[in-house]
Amino acid sequence: MITILKDVAEELYSMFMGDIWLSMAVLIVVAGAALITELTPLDPLIGGAVLLVGCLLVVIASVRRSALKAR
Amino acid sequence: MMITSAETTAIGAAFLASIVEVVEAFTIVLVVATLRGWRPAILGTGAALMALTAIILLLGPVLDQIPIHVLQLSIGILLLLFGIGWLRKAALRAGGVMALHDEDAIFKKEAALLEAESKRHQKSLNWIGGITAFKAVLLEGLEVVFIVIAVSAGRGLLVPASLGAAAACILVLAVGAVLHRPLSKVPENTLKFGVGVMLSAFGVFWTGEGLGVEWPGADLALFGFAALFLAAGLSAAALAKRIKGAIA
Repeated sequence: MITILKDVAEELYSMFMGDIWLSMAVLIVVAGAALITELTPLDPLIGGAVLLVGCLLVVIASVRRSALKAR
Repeated sequence: MMITSAETTAIGAAFLASIVEVVEAFTIVLVVATLRGWRPAILGTGAALMALTAIILLLGPVLDQIPIHVLQLSIGILLLLFGIGWLRKAALRAGGVMALHDEDAIFKKEAALLEAESKRHQKSLNWIGGITAFKAVLLEGLEVVFIVIAVSAGRGLLVPASLGAAAACILVLAVGAVLHRPLSKVPENTLKFGVGVMLSAFGVFWTGEGLGVEWPGADLALFGFAALFLAAGLSAAALAKRIKGAIA
């Protein structure tokens, strides 16, 4: 039973934090978008654009990083 | 009855993600059925499906009580972490940097593990088989449960998303029962790519809404986001292939 619970905990951790660099990058992008929407007088849509573009860049950067690391 | 973009994406994401996960779980259930018979395989699978259903039934209504903006933001961030993670792995596999899932190899590996485990515990072979099937279905099913809850919470889409997941289970089990061997022909990485794209699009949409962004076109923006993530994923896969080619 404990082994199963341990496996479940490991599975849940790997679902969201499987690659720490990727997770941190996503959280930084979200924080950036939140700063714009919550703390500046700018249109919230600009925060949304930062979120979208940031996440797209994270996809490409994380794949590039992993491909280079696999050398 | 009109089906909205959000419903289409929710059902589609739940269906495709379930196919991927059920194929993986089915391989291990088949190992148990082949080595120990169908009884422990079906009992283990049934117990795990009941546990997963209980999680959905418990969490779904609880999440509906949380203020919508808090729910959108927290689920949106989790979807981004999960969806971009899937997209990254799918792009790396498409680029040849990461090995593709090989269900036949997994079948052989799991069979050897179960045989070894059985030799150590002579008296409870069926019990070990049942537990193996239970763990496989529970662990693979957790991702499906998260996707079903995440794409449906706060929008009353729990039933359509669950039906999408259930339809995928029935399809894979029906094909698997006929073929009676691991489903190695399923284009798993393509499906993973698709699910990663959908979940990432959902993640941006929900996180943005949670932050107070009013997306142009409302739910229709999801399709635009999905197209952009698809382009980013394909570009990333091509980049990974180029880097690998330059090294080789």
